[in-house]
Amino acid sequence: MKIFSNKNFVAWYFVLPVAFIHLFVIGIPSLASLALCLTDWRGLGEINYIGFENFIELFDDRYLKKAIINNVIWTIAFLTVPVGIALTCAYLLTGIKRGQMFFRLAFFFPYMLASVINCQIWKYLFHPIHGLGGFFERIGWDFLAVSPFTMKSTSLFAVAFVDGWHFWGFLVVIYLTGMYQVDNHLYEAADIEGATKFQKFRYITLPMIRPVFVFSIMIIIIWSVPVFDYVYILTGGGPAYSSEVIANYMYSQAFERFDVGYSSAIGTLMFFYVMIIVALFGLFRKAGWDI
Amino acid sequence: MIRTIISFASVIILSTSFSALAKTKVTWSMESNADRDPIMIEKLQNAYNNSQDNHELVIEFEDNETRLTSMRTAMIGGMGPDIVETPGPSYVKEYHAAGMLENLDSYAAEFGWKDKMIPWAYSSGVFEGSLYAIPKTHESMVMLYNKTLFEENNWKVPTTLEELEDVAGKIKAKGMNVFSYGSDGWQPTHEHLVGIYLNNYAGPQAVYEAIIGEREWTDPVFVEALELLKKHMVDEGYWSGSLENYYAIGWDDFHAQFANRGAAMMTIGTWTFQATQLGIGASDDEWGWAPLPSLSSQSPDPNFMIAIGTTMSVNANGKNKDGAIDVLNWIMSNKDKVLDIAKDFQFGEMVVPLTLSSSDIPTDIAPQVQDYLSEYARITGEGNYGYCTWTFWPADPGVHIWKDMEVVWAGDISVEDFLYDHQKMWDKARKNGDTLPVPLRN
Repeated sequence: MKIFSNKNFVAWYFVLPVAFIHLFVIGIPSLASLALCLTDWRGLGEINYIGFENFIELFDDRYLKKAIINNVIWTIAFLTVPVGIALTCAYLLTGIKRGQMFFRLAFFFPYMLASVINCQIWKYLFHPIHGLGGFFERIGWDFLAVSPFTMKSTSLFAVAFVDGWHFWGFLVVIYLTGMYQVDNHLYEAADIEGATKFQKFRYITLPMIRPVFVFSIMIIIIWSVPVFDYVYILTGGGPAYSSEVIANYMYSQAFERFDVGYSSAIGTLMFFYVMIIVALFGLFRKAGWDI
Repeated sequence: MIRTIISFASVIILSTSFSALAKTKVTWSMESNADRDPIMIEKLQNAYNNSQDNHELVIEFEDNETRLTSMRTAMIGGMGPDIVETPGPSYVKEYHAAGMLENLDSYAAEFGWKDKMIPWAYSSGVFEGSLYAIPKTHESMVMLYNKTLFEENNWKVPTTLEELEDVAGKIKAKGMNVFSYGSDGWQPTHEHLVGIYLNNYAGPQAVYEAIIGEREWTDPVFVEALELLKKHMVDEGYWSGSLENYYAIGWDDFHAQFANRGAAMMTIGTWTFQATQLGIGASDDEWGWAPLPSLSSQSPDPNFMIAIGTTMSVNANGKNKDGAIDVLNWIMSNKDKVLDIAKDFQFGEMVVPLTLSSSDIPTDIAPQVQDYLSEYARITGEGNYGYCTWTFWPADPGVHIWKDMEVVWAGDISVEDFLYDHQKMWDKARKNGDTLPVPLRN
């Protein structure tokens, strides 16, 4: 009995309730999903084992390929635009002494709004009747009168823009936190050496916040895989699958076409993709990367 | 004296409580709608509860998408509401195949439900020879038009493709959109248009043959039908001015567009009658309706596409099956009460397909709706009816017909390729026994 009152066990007592909930909410459904991907289950009724048929079908599915490509584009877009803007703004904010809190709050504010609200704001802004579309049409700028959410060529980027607008403030805050940890003496030394603002950023700030930066890159790559809500609300993956992403496609297969087996196969694919990313970051850490 | 009053009051309270306790609860999970819910409570739930002492109907309203998912999960777990409401036969098929619905044959025979219902609507709930669902509402597609505007401009309501394209040119020349319609908020809106072009170009007979497997969907007549739809949608921008605007405009917007002369006509289902009456009906303009125009010589006569909007079934694992049956029988046996509910929605909802005579049609509804109800009965009675996709298409091709239509409109695949894929899905559905009941055609 003594073993249970051991100090090392105390942490386990605290972790166990959460682990237990995770087992039921995530663990068992995930395992069930792994099993269902080998069946033709339609969400109701009998379950038939069909081997790897769903996976064979996956490789022939042109819309899944489109969704995967869109996810890759999405990831690249998020790794560049919000990260670039957030880094710049966070760095600039470190130089602001008065009113910095206002900017931090202003940048972070969209992150606090529910995705449905963010989506409705932008949907109405771009609406062809109520939004800017109507205004541009009245002044004769017809090329701007059409909602970018409804054009095949722009829908994915428009959705990514809205999600990025909501997300980048979060990045600003975590980068800013990292930047405040940097020893001020380094900047003072650089000033004495006559370094420019950019040089200080490139050679002091960026290397010093590397753990935070790499962490942000990792969460962006992982969060880009199950991206769903903004696509679902703004475009539903359309028009013509132009903004379709894997999670939305998986949802459509399960809840519109009732093809739960196939949907589980897509989920399994996503699971292994995320596992590979996590494993890669684990390898980097083992290789001595400070992440 | 006080003691007598207290005793009397106690007896009343106790008897009321016992009567409430004696009632067994019947649950019904119903699609929520802010305008409709109070009426359903008053004229369905309360009316039923006041009509008898055995059961207490409790309607639980919920957003339809959430409701369908939660009901499905509950039913997988052997629970769920006593009365199972679904958006159509493809859902009934799934529940039936899983053995989750009660066979209603004996009740239908005992209470004479078959004789009380329109034959095609009754057969839509028959799976493997037995009745499993009763339509809660049936509907069709119509063409609404701004009557005042048409009269002012001496425009003729189109009945053929030539007339449609002619009047469309005139409407556009006036700076208006031809049809008000859009898919924002409900992507399956596309299937309304696909159904119209399949039935009114290829003709209901050809559609029927394809549904029962005697004709391929790759038949040139279907290719031509969808090519025409693509031309009208993409090249001509008949709906809300352009494909992009059609995608961007939702229910409130297209009703407003129709009401304020942004568009001269609207292709829509009869579920819109209440909203139309509240929209353009409240303006200075008068609205009219017409059957959808014939789009080719293969479909020369006016027809109405038949469809089931919502179905009612009894949960095989429900706690109160007797109560659920009693509620359904109350609906089937109280035509006047059901018509009174439908009247409040201008026959856009709760249109249970009971056989009606002309004297049954209420006179205190919009005259256009009265007129429609008579014409619908006459024309479908003559056998001129087509098929709505959401009632007669199995789940997979049923999603394909609207979701992948966008790919055709985007020009990513040809109509031929689209229909080739569509045929493959029908073949698979037929092989798996997933096809839905379709009434025999005369």
